[in-house]
Amino acid sequence: MSNVLSNEKRGMRELGAEKKVGWNEVTHGVVLHSFEDDAADIALRKAEDRKYSEFSSYTATVASWRVIKPVYNRDICIDCQNCWVWCPDSSIISRDKQILGIDYDHCKGCGVCVEVCPTNPKSLLMFGEALSSDDAIAQWPVKEKKEK
Amino acid sequence: MAEKIDLQEIEVWDGNYAAAQAMRQAQIDVVAAYPITPSTPIVEGYANFMADGYIDGEFVMVESEHAAMSGCVGAAAAGGRVATATSSQGFALMVEVLYQASGMRLPIVLNVANRALAAPLNVRGDHSDMYLGRDSGWVQIDAFNAQEVYDMNLCAFRVGEHHDIRLPVMVHQDGFVTSHTAQNVRPLSDDDAYKFIGEYKPMDELLDFSRPVTHGAQTEEDWHFEHKARQHKALMDARPVIESVFAEFEKVSGRKYKRVESYMIEDAEVIIVALGSTVESARLAAQQLRDEEGIKAGVVGPRVIRPFPFDAIRDALENCKAIGAMDRSCPGGALGMLFNEVSAAVYTTAKRPLVTNYIYGLGGRDLAIVDIKAIFRELKANADAGKITTQIQQFIGLRGPKLAFFETREGK
Amino acid sequence: MAITSVKNLKEFSTSNDRFEGAHLLCPGCAHSMIVRELMNCTDDNLVISTNTGCLEVSTAVYPYTSWDTSWIHIGFENAATAAAGAEAMYKARKRKGTLKNPDAPVKFVAFGGDGSTYDIGFQWLSGAVERGHNFTYICLDNENYANTGGQRSSATPIGASTTTAPAGRVSYGEKRNKKDMLAIMAANGASYVAQVAPNKWKNMAQAFQKALSTDGPCYINAMSACTTEWKFDPKDTINISDLATDSLAFPLYEIINGTELNITYRPKNVLPVKDYLAAQGRFKHLFKPENAHVLEEWQKRVDEKWEYLQRREEARV
Repeated sequence: MSNVLSNEKRGMRELGAEKKVGWNEVTHGVVLHSFEDDAADIALRKAEDRKYSEFSSYTATVASWRVIKPVYNRDICIDCQNCWVWCPDSSIISRDKQILGIDYDHCKGCGVCVEVCPTNPKSLLMFGEALSSDDAIAQWPVKEKKEK
Repeated sequence: MAEKIDLQEIEVWDGNYAAAQAMRQAQIDVVAAYPITPSTPIVEGYANFMADGYIDGEFVMVESEHAAMSGCVGAAAAGGRVATATSSQGFALMVEVLYQASGMRLPIVLNVANRALAAPLNVRGDHSDMYLGRDSGWVQIDAFNAQEVYDMNLCAFRVGEHHDIRLPVMVHQDGFVTSHTAQNVRPLSDDDAYKFIGEYKPMDELLDFSRPVTHGAQTEEDWHFEHKARQHKALMDARPVIESVFAEFEKVSGRKYKRVESYMIEDAEVIIVALGSTVESARLAAQQLRDEEGIKAGVVGPRVIRPFPFDAIRDALENCKAIGAMDRSCPGGALGMLFNEVSAAVYTTAKRPLVTNYIYGLGGRDLAIVDIKAIFRELKANADAGKITTQIQQFIGLRGPKLAFFETREGK
Repeated sequence: MAITSVKNLKEFSTSNDRFEGAHLLCPGCAHSMIVRELMNCTDDNLVISTNTGCLEVSTAVYPYTSWDTSWIHIGFENAATAAAGAEAMYKARKRKGTLKNPDAPVKFVAFGGDGSTYDIGFQWLSGAVERGHNFTYICLDNENYANTGGQRSSATPIGASTTTAPAGRVSYGEKRNKKDMLAIMAANGASYVAQVAPNKWKNMAQAFQKALSTDGPCYINAMSACTTEWKFDPKDTINISDLATDSLAFPLYEIINGTELNITYRPKNVLPVKDYLAAQGRFKHLFKPENAHVLEEWQKRVDEKWEYLQRREEARV
């Protein structure tokens, strides 16, 4: 469950790794179209049902910005959606009122999701980038007594 | 639907009203404007058309010229026909957005009633504002009289909105001398004018929700150069488009325009290159000198200032002997713009005519026929001597001791 | 207007993001929380303009855009006018029948930082509001020019240390308190004015929905805690925001049609403002003994403002 519900285009390349085309191939007037298909109903479509163009930052990754990462523990989560609403990088994947996990292509590891998680123990915790999610879950803390 | 106006075959309009009428006929979607002398009557004229039911579009009176051009950019990106008008300080305030409009490749027509730039404050005509815009990436077309203001407005929409070009276009006229002087103008009928301009065909519009689009992205060192190069290419490519629009305009109006207008140059030994209403004065002076003194004088007036007609101006000038480049803008520590650009063009010819620079008419100072004749005589002396006999840059029509700079090094 | 349910977070979480990741905003930046929520609280089409600033330089760097809706940036000062121009074009084309999606509902929204809103774009905003364009202007107020490294703006509060009004041996930093943009916008003729903060997500979503469904110009001042320039850990963005709203350093209220003022959030336990200040590096120097008077001044101003807001609310004028 490391990278849930990934549209095949998500995080295809590092920022800056795109092909540098010549002056005759850059877009007219610096415009960028976000989608490849008719997007009139885009507000009603989930990411996995969208045809993002290569100009959408959805197709890029900022994973390399991260030194620590949040790991999500489904067993404790109450699906309150706090992490979803406050994620500044649209990186908490939620469908049908359930949290599915983290978009590691776009998560920058800020840790806001962990701070706003109300469960005890928390359902999201920060771990070193190199640690696997399974190993992280194996060392999950048990319920803490409330302070004060 | 807006009501139409039944125009006479010959109307008596000043340049400002000619511009306002052309804008009405173009069925513009949005005019965002701010008044400034001497272009104010363009906006007022348009407001009157609006008040009387002759306009279907939106007319937004904003709080500054910067906002006027900003509103035009927002409106143009939303996919419709857009135009406005300004002068002088207002033009200067717009400059930031002029560059943004062209970089974003948005066709906007800007009427500029040319006026001096402060300080000292001055409301009269010179070309300081026109020159300020010359690196802004806009097509710049110059009208020498009210008829041409009208004609060039109609052509400007066609040129700017052409899908291969998609660039904003300025139509220049001299403040007061053209903008406020009533002259005979032969307009097209409302129907013929709109038929010539055609319907606006949007591209990459903000209001096409099936294709969400980002306008105005940032580019840094890895992309900026390519985008600016593409923009420059589009501006250079406007040359044949302008010519084809002029050719089509001739079919509907009978009036023939070229990127460089020239008068009596076939056998001319001496030629004055000038802009705006000075072109008309110089024509008169040249004719008189031919009749009275036998000086083979001619006149060249760049109709299109940007893209600079390097090719056409060279064709017009390469066979003469001496050229006077007339700049009506204080050159700020250099030779004048026309001098520099004309010199560069003729430098690439075999005969390399002699070029001198005359700074004149700043802040609305009149330039009389007698002054222009004196210039032609100096040019004739240069032509006869085979070298520049005066200083290279001279201020003319100026009180006080002679102000002039640089001697020729010819022969040394 | 097609409103997304904001009854509770679970309902709201079924809305679809239209603000994409891999933008370049700092980790923990509140800007994207605010922008994302605005875009999620309606299904209507959006035409969004943005002033130059953090949001702009982070979301549309060629060849990438993070926007799933129409978006335009022109300059530092003119997002309000860009929105106004696009809105005018919409009206003209609707009337003339030249729109590609004539029946599609659309909202016009402009974003600016506090530098471009309170300072350099003030005139453009004032003009667009005065003219009555149907749009919502949202100021992402992080109280400094964060995009260029933290210079003071007229939204910088007293005592904050910024790069152009730094605290030093003889200065405690910013000397003036921030400009009251909400009062100015209410007096300028905005139909709806509100101050919001992302930690109060529902309060914020409701204000956004009110603004979007109001006919006429609306102004929303959104507190955007800035991890980089306020100097706190990125994980603490919401914690800092809680301190701001619960100490009343950022009171949440709305003004309808220039007169009707409603306080929209009343903290159960009002915290001392020094708790809010102490959590940020930009106010660190205020805790030196010689700057005690600034802390007192801060608390006094917060108390006075709260008193004023309550009196205005009561008076209904």
